[in-house]
Amino acid sequence: MSIMDQLPEKFRKQLTSKLLLSCRTDLLLDGSFGEQWIVVTEDTIYIWERDDKPKKTWAVRELRGARISGGIGGGKLIIDTSKGPIVAARYTAALASMFGFAAKFIEALAKEEALPVISERDLPRYCPTCEHPLGEGTQVCQFCMNKGKAAARVLRYARPYKRQMATAAFLLILTTLIELVPPYLTKLIIDDVLQPKAAGSALLVFVLALGVTTVLMAVMQTVRGYIGIWVGSKLMGDIRSDIYGSLMRLSLAYFDRRQTSQFIGRVNSDAESMRQFLTDGVIYVTGELLRIIAICAIIFSLDWQLSLLALLPVPFMVIASVTIWPKVGRRLYQQWRSIFRLNTMVGESMQGIRVVKAFGRENEEMSRYDGANLEVVRNNIKTEGLWQFIFPAFQLIAGIGTLLIWYYGGGKVLGNEIQLGVLMALVAYLGMLFGPLQWVSQMINWASNAIAAAHRIFEIMDTPSEVPDAERPAAVGMIKGRVDFENVTYGYEKHHPVLKDVNLRVQAGEMIGLVGHSGAGKSTFINLLCRFYDTDEGSILIDGVPIRQISQLELRRQIGVVLQETFLFDGSIADNIAYSKPDANPEEIMRAAKIANAHDFIVRLPDGYDTRVGERGHKLSGGEKQRVAIARAIIHDPRILILDEATASVDTETERQIQEAISRLVQGRTTFAIAHRLSTLRNANRLVVLDRGKIVEVGTHEQLLEKQDGVYRKLVDAQQEMSQIRGVGV
Amino acid sequence: MEERFDIRLLEKSEISLTRSEGGVLQGVVSGKHYEELIVYRCFPFQYETAYISIRDAKDVELGIVRDIGELDPESAAELAGELQLRYFLPKVTRVDSVKSKSGLWLWELQTHLGPTRMAMRNLHEHIQYPGGSRIILTDMNGKRCEIADWQALDPHSRKQLEEIV
Repeated sequence: MSIMDQLPEKFRKQLTSKLLLSCRTDLLLDGSFGEQWIVVTEDTIYIWERDDKPKKTWAVRELRGARISGGIGGGKLIIDTSKGPIVAARYTAALASMFGFAAKFIEALAKEEALPVISERDLPRYCPTCEHPLGEGTQVCQFCMNKGKAAARVLRYARPYKRQMATAAFLLILTTLIELVPPYLTKLIIDDVLQPKAAGSALLVFVLALGVTTVLMAVMQTVRGYIGIWVGSKLMGDIRSDIYGSLMRLSLAYFDRRQTSQFIGRVNSDAESMRQFLTDGVIYVTGELLRIIAICAIIFSLDWQLSLLALLPVPFMVIASVTIWPKVGRRLYQQWRSIFRLNTMVGESMQGIRVVKAFGRENEEMSRYDGANLEVVRNNIKTEGLWQFIFPAFQLIAGIGTLLIWYYGGGKVLGNEIQLGVLMALVAYLGMLFGPLQWVSQMINWASNAIAAAHRIFEIMDTPSEVPDAERPAAVGMIKGRVDFENVTYGYEKHHPVLKDVNLRVQAGEMIGLVGHSGAGKSTFINLLCRFYDTDEGSILIDGVPIRQISQLELRRQIGVVLQETFLFDGSIADNIAYSKPDANPEEIMRAAKIANAHDFIVRLPDGYDTRVGERGHKLSGGEKQRVAIARAIIHDPRILILDEATASVDTETERQIQEAISRLVQGRTTFAIAHRLSTLRNANRLVVLDRGKIVEVGTHEQLLEKQDGVYRKLVDAQQEMSQIRGVGV
Repeated sequence: MEERFDIRLLEKSEISLTRSEGGVLQGVVSGKHYEELIVYRCFPFQYETAYISIRDAKDVELGIVRDIGELDPESAAELAGELQLRYFLPKVTRVDSVKSKSGLWLWELQTHLGPTRMAMRNLHEHIQYPGGSRIILTDMNGKRCEIADWQALDPHSRKQLEEIV
């Protein structure tokens, strides 16, 4: 029995046979929000809405099958009966996977096949306790799990530098306390020396004391500043490398859905905001807090009545800060987003600069940029403008306190209730007190910036990899290279499968050519084998071990790829060849290059193997890059080799050289090759023809050609036609 | 051969649509009866009621309706209804609240199809601006809602959105 949602009792008691499946929709049949139940028993399917009476029923024996038809933002469950298709339920995208399963279940029931068992992935993604939606690939609810606030997580980065931070804090306490001495000394000078006109050594002593405190303060500030910078830089380094590490860990699917240029800004600027909070923020805030307490203690001991008067405006400042806080946070995020959009736009047009130039669209790009730029300017004014308002407002409130002190304190001095020095000291201390209070707003700024940045960073860190490593990976050792695809189904978006029920058994050492129109699923086939993505259904086995159980490190060690788009990293050609084996010696590198037919052209370059390639280096031609990539694969020495359109867009002579290199490379390895030019696959043991995500033909070149109406035959004919037009032989 | 690569626009006389007893869109296209038809908007954001691709159950395009208004009233009504169902995009009539909690943005919304709520991991990847004051919200599960013109919403909703968009 498979129950996804607990069926209410009032419906349950109406059932006449065994309950098999019950699920709740979030839409009614007319497409509006509401609940509807669809219940499958051994002989009947029921639909209930709010009423006790079922809205509809169908006998299971009338059924021919069931399927889902995906719409945009939702979908419908269709039951095929002898009288035609019927819409049984509608749902929003949140329940798509659950109804995908329901359809499979009803289909199996109709065809009297074995009923499928529900897997965790089919369950709707809501937390069972609080009904908040769950994140991708997790069944743990963010709300129910106490993860600790972002601030606490940020603070954790400071832990390795406890000692330095403690020293800095200690120095800070000292400086703060010493800073409080000068106004007190001033008071003493006025009251004990200047007013009584008591000449003598007292004045010199007090002035000397003032001098010493100033020097001490300067020294300690320098030391503390240096420690601050040191800890700060270290912290920033740690945070940055953590973000980068999380990025590297994420699956390809994560990057498919995002523009990659955004991450550059994230790694750097978000780390900077967090550092600012940790060093300046934390140290500054504790320091100022301490100072406020100390000042309060002193002024209260000088004259508590006047102090109370002076502190009158403080509650207002606190209330103002608390109300402004959330507003500031949202505005900052808004500002960040507009800058983010601007950056993405720049990244995008820089990547596509060739297209921009080729179509002469510079002006349009500029006006697009101007639009986004205007938005940034607007948001900047809005957010920064807020500060310009907050600042004077705080100053005004603080000013009132000082005015009160002057008025009442002055009166007290005139009435001889207190001495002039006490008044002077009070005014000086108040100035020092309102200083940090005014800075409360600046601290809000720092902290909200840092928390916003922390949220963005933790979002990356908390995103679970969609291709998680097995907890206890199977030890495969040196694999032989047998590959099995068993009922593999996969779609980049679930329920829109690109590969459907693919079965293929490949012997170790066999070369398989993948053939088909573009969009037939060839690249997906290969992406799944590399485990860039996980299959939605079915499994892929290497030497009989499911690849989900092989650690990814191990898997990639056994698989080598030569991709259509050859990417060379910044570094020398030698570095690039030895990418997967950094300890390779020069002979190994040369041997690999020789096999790849790359040795000769490399040696002819002025800088030989030390030629710098990549973004800022020497530009290699497409064919040269290909051969470097092949050499890279050779030195990697994989048991399974993947060639994706390795000879696209090169001339015939280069192609011959690459072909030669490849034929040496594939020896003794299980190879999967994709090529548009069917001629490049003549070495393949078997060709697998894919069409719309399904394997339609398997066999050798000759076998497939014999099929009169075969897909392969048509492809070959079409290519021959094309090459006759171009006057080139296939 | 040439015709295969041309867009085939359906005339009023060539298409008539009805709904089957089972709630499935069916109809006669170019003289042939189809018991199930699928409809797509070619320009879902720009043209909601024009350029509608009519396809059979196997997803092969039969033709394109230039504008729903050109069809006979019954077909037009059925087509409009089916588009509403297939493109599940409730129109937001009021924004009750937008809160940020534990790294999730939670929206409480009133739509023309009833109240709903959405959850987003962040705002910069889940909000689209197709132009003007129009906003498309997509939540973590792919559920979408549309705010046709956020400037035209009531003051409470605008206040909620001010710091968001």
